[in-house]
Amino acid sequence: MPDKTQWQRPVELPPDAITPAPSSQTEPRLARDIPLDEAQPLAEESSSQTPTPAQRGQRRRHGWLLLLLVLTGLAIGAELYRLINWSVAIHPLLGGAFAVLTAALLLMIGLEVKHGLKGSRQLRQVESLQDRARQLLQQASHGDSAALLKQLSHGYQDTALSREMQAAIVQLDSSYNDREVIQYLDRHALSQTDQAARRCVQRYSVESGVMVALSPWASFDMLLVAWRNLRMVREIATLYGIAPGLLTQGKLLKQILHNLAFAGASEVAMDAGSALLGSSLTSSLSARAGQGIGAGLFTARTGLTAIKLCRPLPEQDQPKGLLQQIARGIVQKLGGQKGNRNTDSMP
Amino acid sequence: MSISQKLGGLIRQSGLPEWPEQLKTSLERGLEQRVRLAVTGLSRSGKTVFITALAQHLLQSDQACSLPFFSAAAEGRITGTRDLSPQSHSPFPLQSCLAGLRADPPHWPASTESLSEVRLALRYRRRPGLGRALGEQTTLYIDLIDYPGEWLLDLPMLTLSFEQWCRQQHTLFAASPRTEVAADWMEQQRMMDWLAPASDSQLLTLVEQYRRLLQQLREPPYNLSLLQPGRLLMPGELIDSPLLHLFPIILNWPSQPERADDSSLFARLQRAYTDYQTQVIRPFYQQHFRHFDRQIVLVDCLKTLNSGADCFNDMQQALTTLLHSFQYGRNSLLRRLFSPRINRVLLAATKADHVTANQHHNLDLFMQLMLEAAQREIRFEQVETHCLALSSLRATDAAQARLDGQHISCLRGRRKDTGEEIALFPGEIPTELPRPSDWSSDRFRFVDFAPRSLPAGQLKPEHHIRLDQAIEYLLGDLF
Repeated sequence: MPDKTQWQRPVELPPDAITPAPSSQTEPRLARDIPLDEAQPLAEESSSQTPTPAQRGQRRRHGWLLLLLVLTGLAIGAELYRLINWSVAIHPLLGGAFAVLTAALLLMIGLEVKHGLKGSRQLRQVESLQDRARQLLQQASHGDSAALLKQLSHGYQDTALSREMQAAIVQLDSSYNDREVIQYLDRHALSQTDQAARRCVQRYSVESGVMVALSPWASFDMLLVAWRNLRMVREIATLYGIAPGLLTQGKLLKQILHNLAFAGASEVAMDAGSALLGSSLTSSLSARAGQGIGAGLFTARTGLTAIKLCRPLPEQDQPKGLLQQIARGIVQKLGGQKGNRNTDSMP
Repeated sequence: MSISQKLGGLIRQSGLPEWPEQLKTSLERGLEQRVRLAVTGLSRSGKTVFITALAQHLLQSDQACSLPFFSAAAEGRITGTRDLSPQSHSPFPLQSCLAGLRADPPHWPASTESLSEVRLALRYRRRPGLGRALGEQTTLYIDLIDYPGEWLLDLPMLTLSFEQWCRQQHTLFAASPRTEVAADWMEQQRMMDWLAPASDSQLLTLVEQYRRLLQQLREPPYNLSLLQPGRLLMPGELIDSPLLHLFPIILNWPSQPERADDSSLFARLQRAYTDYQTQVIRPFYQQHFRHFDRQIVLVDCLKTLNSGADCFNDMQQALTTLLHSFQYGRNSLLRRLFSPRINRVLLAATKADHVTANQHHNLDLFMQLMLEAAQREIRFEQVETHCLALSSLRATDAAQARLDGQHISCLRGRRKDTGEEIALFPGEIPTELPRPSDWSSDRFRFVDFAPRSLPAGQLKPEHHIRLDQAIEYLLGDLF
C-alpha cells in the first residue's frame, strides 16, 4: 500500500533513550517547565535568494550614494588637512587645537552613525519579527516558533524589555502551539512596556495639546508640536529597546508619517469619531482649545503608530478609548487653567 | 380548619414562598451575574476531573498564577473566590477528589454514581468603562453539576414513544458489534410472545440479561456509548426500583399491540417506559438540564481510536442525538430572565496530555470530524462553537528521545493499570477517518496514564493544558 508510510508508528522507548527536555540556567530546579520549543533546532532562514529587480535597483542606488559619500568625505578630509596644515604653519598650538577639535567632531559623527546603523538594523529586525509572528498566528503548527523565540531572547538581551521577556519565555508551556506562543508573549512579555509606552503617549499628547491651545503664535505652535513629537518618538523607541539616534529617529519618523498618511479607513473613522467627541467637549470652550485637541490627537496618533512600529510583536488588541481619554484630559487641563467649571471628570 | 390555615396551605401549594428566591435567581441571571455551565460528556470522558480542576483553578484564580490565558485572572481583576457548594443539597466532593489526586500514589476520582452540584462565587473588579457605574466590584456565581454520563443518554428518550424507541434499538442491534454480542438475547426475543401474560420472574430475568448485555457492550473491547436506558447501568438511588424493569422489544414486535393483556410483557414494558420517562428522565431534565447558559462537551477521542470504527460511529451517533436535547439560541434580555438557552458551546477533546503536543491540532480536527453534524446544527441556531484539545489535569511530561538518529518527542508518565513509569510515542492522530485496514494495524497505542501528584498549595499552568483557554472562551466575556 503506497500510503502506509504516511504516519509514524507508535513506539515504546527504552528508558535510557530519553533525554528530558533540556533546562535553561535561570530556573535549574524546574527542569520540567522548560518548553521543548527552545531545544529544537533552529529553522534556518533561507538567505541565498536571488535578488529581485527591486533589490537590484536599490543596490544600484546605494552604490551611487556610497560613491557620493566617499567623494564628499575625500573633499572634506582634504579641506580639513589643508586647514590643519595652515594653522600649524601659523602656530603649532593653534594647529593642535584645530586637530583636537576635528578629532572630536569625527568621533561624534562616527558614534552617531554607529548608533543610527544599529537602530535601523533593529527596526528592520522588528519588522521581520512582526511579519513572522503574524504568519505564526495564522497556523496551528508546533515548534516553528523556536527561531522567533531565540531571536526575541537574544535580540533584546541588554534592553529594558529583557527581564519581562525572559520570564515569559521561560514560563511558556511545552504544549502551546505556535499561535498560543505568540498570544502568550503578546499578553505577558510586553505588558509593562506597553503600559509605560501608552502612559508616555498620553502625557506628551495632553501636554502638546495644552501648549498649542495656550500659545499665542500659530507658526510657533507647529514647531512646538513637531518638537514634542520627536521627543516622544525617541522615548518610545528607547522603551522598546531600539537604540536612539538621529538616523533612527529620522527613519522611524518617515515610517510613521507613511503609516499615518496611508491609514486604513477604519482607523480614520475611529479617529474621526474621537475628534467629533473632542469638538463636542470643546463647544463650551474656544476655537483655540479645539486646535489644541487637534494637535493632541495628532500627537497621540503619532505615538500609537510609533508603538506599532517599535513593538517586537504585532498588536492584537488596540487600546480602546485612549484617544478619547486624551481629548478629555486636554479639556480638563484647559478647564482647570482657565478657571472654567469642569463638567467631565477624568475616569 | 380555619381560613388562615387554609390560606397558608394554598400559598404553600402555589409555591409562593419560593418566589423571592426564584426572582432573585432570575434577576441575577438577567444581569449576567449567574451562569450555569453544562458539563456534557459520555461516561468516562472526564467530567469529574474537569469539574475538579476547573473549580480548584478558579478558586485559586485570585492569585493569578495558573491561568495565563484567562484574562480576568491574568490581569489580576479577580479579588476573591468562595466555594458555595456546601449550601447545596448534594455538594460535589471537591475535597475528596483533590485528596485522591494529592495522595501517594495519586489516583483518578472514582466514577460518579449520583448527581452533585458545584457553586462558585468569584468576586471581581469590573473592566474600566460604563459598567463601572454599577459599582467597581461585583460577584459572578458559577453553577455546575456533575452526574453519571450514562444518565445523559436517557435524555433523547424523552421525545420518543415506546414504539419509536424499540424501532430505534432494533436498527442499532442490527449492526455489528451489537448483533454478535446480543445473539443469545435476540434469539430469546425471537421466541417470545409479547402479548401473553407473563410472570414477574420472567420479566426480571430478561431485565437482568439486558443489563448484563449493556455492561458487556460498555466494556472493552467494544467501548460502546449509545446504551439506553442509562439507569440500568448506573441506577443511582433507583437501585432495585421497579422503574428500571425496562428493555426494548427489538424482535417479534406484536402485530396487534392493542390486544395486549394487562399483565403481558408488552403492556408492562410500555407502562414501565412511560413511567421511566415521567418519573426519572423528566424530573432530571427539568431540574438540572433546562436552564443552561453555556456548554462544554467533553469527548474522549482516544478511546475511539483505540477501539475502532464501530466505537467511533457509536459515539458519534450518541453525541449527535444527545446534543439535540439541549436548547441552543441567542438570548435576548427577556429570554435570559425566563428561559435561557445555551449561547456558547465549546467542543473539547479531552486527554490532550495523552498525545504529544504536536498532535494536539490533529486531535482537534479529529474531534471536529466526529461532531461535524452536531456542530452544524448548533451553528444554525447562530450559536458560537469552538473546538479545543485540552487536558484538565496533566498526567504526562513532554520529553525527547533519540531513536535511530532521529529526535522524537514523546510522553513520560505512569501507566494507569500497572503504575510503572513509561516513555511512549503514542502514534499520530489521523485527521480523516482511518480505513478499516488501518484500524486493525497497530497504528495507535494510547495508554491510560495515572495522574501526577497535585501540590497541596498553588496550582501552576503546567498542571493543565488549555483549561485556561476553555475558561476564557466559556466565561471570559462575563468578567
